[in-house]
Amino acid sequence: MSNKESLPMVRIEKLRKSFGSHVVLRDVSLDVRAGEVLVIIGASGSGKSTLLRCINMMEVPERGRIFVDGQPMGQHKDDGSFTVFPDRVLNEKRAQIGMVFQSFNLFAHLTVLDNITIGPVTVKKTPPAEARELAMALLEKVGLAEKADSYPSRLSGGQQQRVAIARALAMKPKLMLFDEPTSALDPELVGDVLATMKQLAEEGMTMIVVTHEMGFAREVADRVLFFHQGDMLEEGTPEAIFSNPRHQRTQDFLRRVLPAPGAPCRPAPAPTAYIGKAAC
Amino acid sequence: MDYAFNWRVVWQNWDFLISGITLTLGVTAASLSCAIVIGLAVGLMRLSKKGLLRRLAMAYVEIFRNTPALVQLIWVYYCLPVLVGINLDATSACIVALSTNGAAYVAEIFRAGIQGVPPGQVEAARSIGMSYGETMRKIILPQATRKMIPPFVNEAVSLLKYSSLVSVLGVSDLTYQAQVLSTTTFRPIEIFTFIGVVYFLVCWMMSSAAQVLERRLAVSDR
Ligand SMILES: Nc1ncnc2c1ncn2[C@@H]1O[C@H](COP(=O)(O)OP(=O)(O)O)[C@@H](O)[C@H]1O
Ligand SMILES: [Mg+2]
Repeated sequence: MSNKESLPMVRIEKLRKSFGSHVVLRDVSLDVRAGEVLVIIGASGSGKSTLLRCINMMEVPERGRIFVDGQPMGQHKDDGSFTVFPDRVLNEKRAQIGMVFQSFNLFAHLTVLDNITIGPVTVKKTPPAEARELAMALLEKVGLAEKADSYPSRLSGGQQQRVAIARALAMKPKLMLFDEPTSALDPELVGDVLATMKQLAEEGMTMIVVTHEMGFAREVADRVLFFHQGDMLEEGTPEAIFSNPRHQRTQDFLRRVLPAPGAPCRPAPAPTAYIGKAAC
Repeated sequence: MDYAFNWRVVWQNWDFLISGITLTLGVTAASLSCAIVIGLAVGLMRLSKKGLLRRLAMAYVEIFRNTPALVQLIWVYYCLPVLVGINLDATSACIVALSTNGAAYVAEIFRAGIQGVPPGQVEAARSIGMSYGETMRKIILPQATRKMIPPFVNEAVSLLKYSSLVSVLGVSDLTYQAQVLSTTTFRPIEIFTFIGVVYFLVCWMMSSAAQVLERRLAVSDR
């Protein structure tokens, strides 16, 4: 991770997005270094999902510039306005960015294995045998090799989310976007998913993670960004944000999501899992 | 009731009736195939982001659903040639009329089926770089199809029944052959009872096959 300092993996310049008259992103500018884990926190409705969805063009920004690995994600006009690339170009760019959703969104009619191979086979024209091998290796990695032939409806939420991570990784992405990956999970299933994400971070994946898991942010994030009403209000190391927030709003937010000092801890996490849960 | 049935009239004219059945099935199959293609296109237009396409598709569906099939049939046969200068023989006119009519219903089946697939499935597919077409073919339609089987079979059955209307244009389908036989043999009761049973059996077999298929597909969800 030495020469990567020069060129950020993600560069966002003055990104603006509205829905009707409601401005959801107010000229957001942001760099994410290669290999960096950026955690975004903030109240519901502050525009965190919209920011992630603009990065891979699931939402089309109004103005601003976005670069992923130095490549523009849209046609940036001189006057600051933004137009999307034609589908063919856009699909190639999206294939390099993995996205993990709150609701997993596994393909319900495909087995776990086919969920993972369909991307490489369809989009990258990887030979099926090779794609299967890759998929099995990824399933091995997320600890679900024995579920290869199951349908998603047969898996727990935590298992589904780990398959969804494997599905995204099968595209060999340069960047992974996580939109509240554990928010839909029962508490006892959160740990396994966070452990998978932590492993990914340790392998050097560039990750932007929207989450309310403050324990994860504290332990895994290189940088934490507090989002408020469509713009970042404060950013810093986890230590700085959690122990020493400068803004009143950040303090208020953290007071709401972190357990009060002396409050009882959440139940112990699942056995195989990740330990740095919550601020207990 | 002292009517003396004479079923021999059916066996004696077996080949004649079979030719009618063949034509009925042929017209239905051809119309159904075209209806699927046109219906898919109209259904996708109906879901388009472009307002113009959506309104065109909506108008199409409304026009065909709110006029009688018999009027559509006669219009295609007698009015289209005058207005557009396309001369169709009676059988082709029937296929055109039945396909365009069926397409209006098929379009609604596709629309409902596609809309029934959770939007997250599209998002996931697009986010790994699949195109709109790939997403439709590999993710949306396979999932939508399961839900579409029952209404789709309904539509096939109604098309088959509607196809009896083509007899008014002199196309020698099952109903037309029955009319001809009735006037020559004076045995309408036997003949129309027989073709009623034939229509019933074909429609009933289609529905039953659909039920089996639906059950099979449900199993692969496990
Ligand atoms: N497709 C959409 N149409 C209209 N409004 C939207 C849409 N998506 C998001 N919004 C609005 O944008 C704001 C930010 O949403 P979102 O980015 O989902 O916030 P967060 O992820 O931080 O909860 C919310 O007020 C939400 O209602
Ligand atoms: Mg959100």
